[in-house]
Amino acid sequence: MLGPFLETLIGGLLTGVLYSLVALGFVLIFKASGVFNFAQGAMVLFAALTIARLAGAIDNKEVFLGQFVAAAAVLGVALALVGWYVWREYMARGGGGDERRKVLLLSLLGAVAGGAAAYAYGKGAWPMWLAIAATAAIMGLLAYAIERLVLRHLVNQEGIILFMATLGIAYFLDGFGQTLWGSDIYKINLGLPKDPIFLFEGVFPGGLLVDPGDLVAAVIAAVLVIVLALFFQKTRIGRALRAVADDHAAAQSVGIPLNMIWLVVWTVSGLVALAAGLIWGAKLGVQFSISLIALKALPVLILGGFTSVPGAIVGGLIIGAGEKLSEVFLAPILVKQFDLAGGGIENWFAYMLALVFLLFRPQGLFGERIIERV
Amino acid sequence: MLYREAGQFKTTYGADQQIFPILQDRIFVLAVIAAALLVVPLFASQYLYTEILIPFLILSLAAIGLNILVGYCGQVSLGTGGFMAVGAYAAYNLWLRVPEANNLIVVFLFGGLMSAAVGILFGIPSLRIKGFYLAVATLASQFFLDWLFARVKWLTNYTPSGSVAVGDTSAFGWKIDTPMERYLFILAFVVVATVVAKNLVRGHIGRSWMAIRDMDIAAEIIGFRPLRTKLTAFAVSSFFIGIAGAMWAFLRLGAWEPLAFDINRSFQILFMVIIGGLGSLLGSFLGAAFIVLTPIVLNQLPGWFGVKMSTALLSHLEFMVFGAMIVFFLIVEPHGLARLWAIAKEKLRLWPFPH
Amino acid sequence: MTVRSRVFDETLLAVEGISLSFGGVKALTDISFDIRKGEIRAIIGPNGAGKSSMLNCINGFYHPQQGAITYKGVRRSQMRPHEAAEQGIARTFQNIALFKGMSTLDNIMTGRNLRMKTGLFWQALHFGPAQREEIEHRRAVERIIDFLEIQHIRKVPVGRLPYGLQKRVELGRALAAQPELLLLDEPMAGMNIEEKQDMCRFVLDVNDEFGTTICLIEHDMGVVMDISDRVVVLDYGKKIGDGVPDEIKRNQAVIDAYLGVSH
Repeated sequence: MLGPFLETLIGGLLTGVLYSLVALGFVLIFKASGVFNFAQGAMVLFAALTIARLAGAIDNKEVFLGQFVAAAAVLGVALALVGWYVWREYMARGGGGDERRKVLLLSLLGAVAGGAAAYAYGKGAWPMWLAIAATAAIMGLLAYAIERLVLRHLVNQEGIILFMATLGIAYFLDGFGQTLWGSDIYKINLGLPKDPIFLFEGVFPGGLLVDPGDLVAAVIAAVLVIVLALFFQKTRIGRALRAVADDHAAAQSVGIPLNMIWLVVWTVSGLVALAAGLIWGAKLGVQFSISLIALKALPVLILGGFTSVPGAIVGGLIIGAGEKLSEVFLAPILVKQFDLAGGGIENWFAYMLALVFLLFRPQGLFGERIIERV
Repeated sequence: MLYREAGQFKTTYGADQQIFPILQDRIFVLAVIAAALLVVPLFASQYLYTEILIPFLILSLAAIGLNILVGYCGQVSLGTGGFMAVGAYAAYNLWLRVPEANNLIVVFLFGGLMSAAVGILFGIPSLRIKGFYLAVATLASQFFLDWLFARVKWLTNYTPSGSVAVGDTSAFGWKIDTPMERYLFILAFVVVATVVAKNLVRGHIGRSWMAIRDMDIAAEIIGFRPLRTKLTAFAVSSFFIGIAGAMWAFLRLGAWEPLAFDINRSFQILFMVIIGGLGSLLGSFLGAAFIVLTPIVLNQLPGWFGVKMSTALLSHLEFMVFGAMIVFFLIVEPHGLARLWAIAKEKLRLWPFPH
Repeated sequence: MTVRSRVFDETLLAVEGISLSFGGVKALTDISFDIRKGEIRAIIGPNGAGKSSMLNCINGFYHPQQGAITYKGVRRSQMRPHEAAEQGIARTFQNIALFKGMSTLDNIMTGRNLRMKTGLFWQALHFGPAQREEIEHRRAVERIIDFLEIQHIRKVPVGRLPYGLQKRVELGRALAAQPELLLLDEPMAGMNIEEKQDMCRFVLDVNDEFGTTICLIEHDMGVVMDISDRVVVLDYGKKIGDGVPDEIKRNQAVIDAYLGVSH
């Protein structure tokens, strides 16, 4: 009994790390801007689609558009960064004039050149590192577009309005990604080992079966989670983020540029989405249902608290483990007792778990105790 | 000149508390209802009924239900689809198992009541959970109910595919079969339900909801009981939504499976409420019209310009346009179409002399 | 206006040994005082002295760790806010707590909520008992609107009103409950002279005409000394003075802590 239990538990915990990763994307944005970003799942799907199509064998022509865009994005962003740096140095030496426009022009030209190069290069798969870099650039541009076109116009609106706006973004991205890249099921090949390994063969008869792919993915996710936590705690931008999270107006008044911060945060959670998309895509294949894993991350959020990085981590582990254990051990009992047409309780069990938990601790695992005032 | 309230003096509090205190508004609304009852059946085609008018009316009712909860009581819910499913399956099981109750009005009311009961149950956490935490918690009800109707065989009468169908629908001996009959029946139901909703929101109970919405702590201090008030909102809201669900199943689909009421349905209704206007019954109708009509127009659009598109591409584009329009709308007018309507009316009052 | 000297015997509410803390922060320490029926009782003290916390304890929003409150002869230690409302305690708030999305009229109507009993069914029909009840309470609310001279903003959403009027509407909402004990948390803060004079007049009129007992927090010493019958002084969560205004003016501890500084 203990063997299967542990096996399920480990499997659940490994999945849980991935939930943590998606939840972390939510937490970053909520912490820094108070926006409940429903588009996180759509961002995961979008990133996964982009990587899969760039790195995969490309055999039909519609993809060409996407490749063009990707190449343009990489070169454009790279040149913009270089240009920005040069411009800043130039300004620091007392320069003047409208250099900013030149930088923009330069990056636009770079984008066109990059697109043309990709066009000339024609069909064929890109190496994985280039695909990932291109996707990262695209996620950065996406963050920029979202800040510029949406968030900037919705400053000081109520939370529900911002939430709705992210629902709109989610719809848009789902459609956009599939228009650009097509909607078949794609594979991402990270070269992860496939053969199951067995742990503790001495302790349990037959050992514990663990999927090495899961293990590698979990390690990658764990490293990312730790890096992000450090980024938040230790860097200057991290401090600025925490200041913004505490009080927008106060942070602005001490000279923290709100727009810049939002851009950084959305870019970072775009990168988190990229990592999640990469891992999930390698695990399950890239398909529309990936955007639904965002929904899996929501119980993690209410369990861990919307603003807590450690909460997202621990919450993810609890939800991952609880979900698998319930499916393996509770579902068969339910099916037998109530004559159900199959189990599948993992779709709601996590939510119920989180809900019941919330009844006893409304601020979540790591949230601060709420003192109400009038 | 036509739209003036000057000279219409109210001499009693009763007269001042009418739904439409301004005479022209009363005439306008009555004219719209009369036209919907009498004029539309003269020319409407089957397509107009089944693809536009019937979905519009039913979804308006669901939007009114959700608006009561979100717009009036301030409790964000993402579980609308689940409550529609409760209404639909409760109605189905009554219709199936109690032949004496083969009367659509009875069946629908039963669906609404069951949905209200489930709504109360899932509303209990709202006492302790607020804001987005509550919104996420309502997703629990959505997923649980989805699962329930997909897996519990009794509820779907042991059909192997899990899909159920109804035939032979009537109310008080009136057989409701053709699209026109369905339309008229739904219209009557929706008009009555709207009046009931309006009565609730303009009275004591509506004020208690809005008090909780605007400032829950102050509301409790002046004597409202938060739990009771919120649960009333959950109950009334789910009642309307349940009826809408039963109507959707019986009169729009005829045969359906749980997927008809999945989370996308919840989002769809929420979009209606937000685009139409939070805390506005008129807005619920405007939002529903917008959401029903937009995809239809989008599908026609390429044809008008002679462009051919694959269905897959079209559906992706639909997603994109839809998402973009929602964002655009929120930026331009976060208070929804109802606010635009109110502004237009304000202008009309001054027309043609704006000063 | 001269300092009024009225005598009250009957105790309406007695605070006995109240202590309240949030985590390690002590907001109130062993506070005792009483409020007598019919008087105007003021609570004063520097910022952060615990005045608002005291009101929050009286109407059951905060639950003190120690001590008890006796109201109308009934001793209680725990009570929900709506129970306090049911027993005739109404209040206004330091930072206006009106229902921003509703009109002035509806806001004041909410003050009548405890007296409106018709159920969902009649409400849904808006007919018979529901309509009669609505009109009856509308009449009562219109009297308050007349009293506070806010007829012209009856149907304006309160979010659009200027600060002074919002304060007045909030008073109206509290009055609509016809309370026995009215708690006012800085009713004149942020007002200009004229608005303050109006508000003083309303407070005195409420006290005179309806015999409502009033407990108010106020920073304007001139106002406090003029309109209140007795004053409690808090500082750092402790009571440092209690008596009629003349005594308070002469109390050395109070002068040190508060009056002597800038007023």
